[in-house]
Amino acid sequence: MYRIKKQDFSKIIDELIKTGNRIISYSNNGNDFKRINSSNELSINSNFKPSKLSLKEIVFPKTEPLFYYKRTNDNVELKDIKFDSEKTIIIGAKPCDAKAFSTISKVFNWDYKDNFFNSKYENTIIIGLKCDYKDEYCFCNEVGLSQSSKEGSDIFIELDGDDYFIYILSEKGKNLFQPFMSYLIEEIKESKVDDIDKIIDLNKVRTWITDNFDSNFWYSISQECLGCGKCAFICPTCHCFDIVDENYTYFEGRRMKNWDACQFGKFTLHASGHNPRDIQAKRYRQRIAHKFKYYFDKFDELLCTGCGRCSRECPVSINIFDVIKEINAK
Amino acid sequence: METNINFEPKIIAFVCNWCTYTGADLAGTSRLKYAHNVRIIKLPCTGRIDPLFIIKAFEKGADGVLVSGCHPGDCHYTSGNFHARRRWILFNQLLNFAGIDNRRVHFSWVSASEGRKWVDVINEVIETVRKAGPFVGYSKMNKEYVYNE
Amino acid sequence: MNNLYNIAKDLFSTNKVDLIIGYKSIDSKRTKPIFVSSNEDVDHLVFNEYSLNNLSVYLTRKDIKKYNKIGILAKGCDIRAIVQLINENQIEREKILIISKKCNGVVKDFGLEYNEENIAEKCKSCKVRTPKVFDLMIDSEEEKKLPEPTISSRVNELDSMTPEERFEFWRNEFSKCIRCYACRQACPLCYCERCIVDKNIPDWIESSPTQRANFSWNLIRAFHLSGRCIGCGECERVCPVDIPLSLLNAKMGIVTFKEFNYATGMEIGEPTLVGNYSNEDNEDFIK
Repeated sequence: MYRIKKQDFSKIIDELIKTGNRIISYSNNGNDFKRINSSNELSINSNFKPSKLSLKEIVFPKTEPLFYYKRTNDNVELKDIKFDSEKTIIIGAKPCDAKAFSTISKVFNWDYKDNFFNSKYENTIIIGLKCDYKDEYCFCNEVGLSQSSKEGSDIFIELDGDDYFIYILSEKGKNLFQPFMSYLIEEIKESKVDDIDKIIDLNKVRTWITDNFDSNFWYSISQECLGCGKCAFICPTCHCFDIVDENYTYFEGRRMKNWDACQFGKFTLHASGHNPRDIQAKRYRQRIAHKFKYYFDKFDELLCTGCGRCSRECPVSINIFDVIKEINAK
Repeated sequence: METNINFEPKIIAFVCNWCTYTGADLAGTSRLKYAHNVRIIKLPCTGRIDPLFIIKAFEKGADGVLVSGCHPGDCHYTSGNFHARRRWILFNQLLNFAGIDNRRVHFSWVSASEGRKWVDVINEVIETVRKAGPFVGYSKMNKEYVYNE
Repeated sequence: MNNLYNIAKDLFSTNKVDLIIGYKSIDSKRTKPIFVSSNEDVDHLVFNEYSLNNLSVYLTRKDIKKYNKIGILAKGCDIRAIVQLINENQIEREKILIISKKCNGVVKDFGLEYNEENIAEKCKSCKVRTPKVFDLMIDSEEEKKLPEPTISSRVNELDSMTPEERFEFWRNEFSKCIRCYACRQACPLCYCERCIVDKNIPDWIESSPTQRANFSWNLIRAFHLSGRCIGCGECERVCPVDIPLSLLNAKMGIVTFKEFNYATGMEIGEPTLVGNYSNEDNEDFIK
């Protein structure tokens, strides 16, 4: 690990901007994030609440074209999308957000290597930041993370007075900082192990979910759910998408990939008219089961990083951590 | 404005079958000339016209929209145009508030015998839209749909 | 004593209701909807300046409609939604028991302290702080003066821009939209079983969150609510990207009042605005 002065870090960022990298930083109040054009706009603050929208937009945009098509008299011409993603560096990602990238990367490289995702993810470098924020909606420590978890980050920084402590964790991170090693001062620091006091037994939760598919519990915890889909859209790990063809003229159009949410009423509506998840209770059960059982069964990881966004932002204040606590207590 | 002289606006006209369409037909049989910039879409009644059609016309590249039907009291379906009129009062102001103002969206009552009025209305609409220029706001939004090498 | 606990207990013990939709406290500054179907959970019910949700959104749900008599905690603004739903024949007056109170405003969003700075904008210009339509009234403080509203000056600011500037303003705002449909789901008057945006043959409103389609969606939703929106502000509160939807709805509220002397949801039995017409409707904008 290394120590670096804040102003030297800013110099590195300016240099990276000059060499054509896209730098993403949080806004001044941490509510959202944007591309910055100089290190003056950097906003690195470990006390920020998780931003309203997650960072997944950077590797999994809310809408993107898959290909363009044009109909001619007796044929269809297809034009593929060229993958030319900008080199992107995210600065100050919370551990709950950084981990999410590596979590969803598993499903996008499972039975099919999704180049729409991979081309962006491979060109993205995540600089994580130790988090000093905690409210009653956060539960990252319950799902295997912590405020100083480095999982998912290529580079990890911790604030230390006028300096940062930098951990260079991956090949990508090493290559990025190669030309700037002169700014870095090697230093060994005692790694303080976070006091993780867990109250949830995730195995127990998973077993209960498996054995209680038809329980009335799912109805009682989701009665107030509006089925709006906000939770899925702002979640850093939710990745369902819809594919539609959009005709712009009679002859031309594009195939688009858009965000979708299992909470929508028509998410599982079949062309026959049958809807296996016809009531909100079944849809909410799907959300919990996917995050805390199905994804684990398949990839040995939870599809939740404990960021708490869904609970904070839910219009009717459904708290996912409360749901898990209730299952844990059964 | 110099830049608008060569601009040929694209106008879509949503008209009702019984009055305005017939009126436009009369203009044709009377050999009354009017500018070519308009494409007419025939509907059974102005009551059928969903304000969504107006937005869709702009999405597809129209620079101006005209909606026209029977005079109040003359509707073939008795009250279709009354319902339409109330809708238009609301939609017109909503569109105006969103930046699509009355230079681009026009409404008229043209009866089956008013061939001359049809020609006057169309020509007025075309000139007003020509002065307003191409609908830059929408064409900016439409750029992403075109494949660029 | 007309406090909430006694009223609710009494309603259940005399079988006047079989469900009460109310609020429950989750912490000192946040409440959430709760469905109470027996005396057991009555002590969870609260009704205070943190009761933000418009509970009338649940009245059009199939699983709620099967109850025979539904009690509902409703602020003045929420009652307007209930009245409008009755006027649009979506719920029956006899099935609803409205429990209300004099209102001194609610906070803008969850987690904020109730004070002058944090009062929701809609409360500042509210005309139904003492509701006129209700069944039972809970004791509460007298009405007190709230800060001056700023919504009409913001609408006027937009009105004074050129059309191109307005278009650019809205294009910019709507480009943030992610089409989560939280606005639609939270709105008590968006009860269509199949929304226009769900119909994709033909594809009237494209489902992709592109700028063009977002513009279309937000504008058409504003139109479908013209003359029906009661200004509860839920749509703006739930929007994850902070689109100023209340500006659109406020403008349409001003227009419907100016043109038709109509305010949504004030009187039961009042004919709906867009479902009717008059020979006196203004047509000076029609050639």
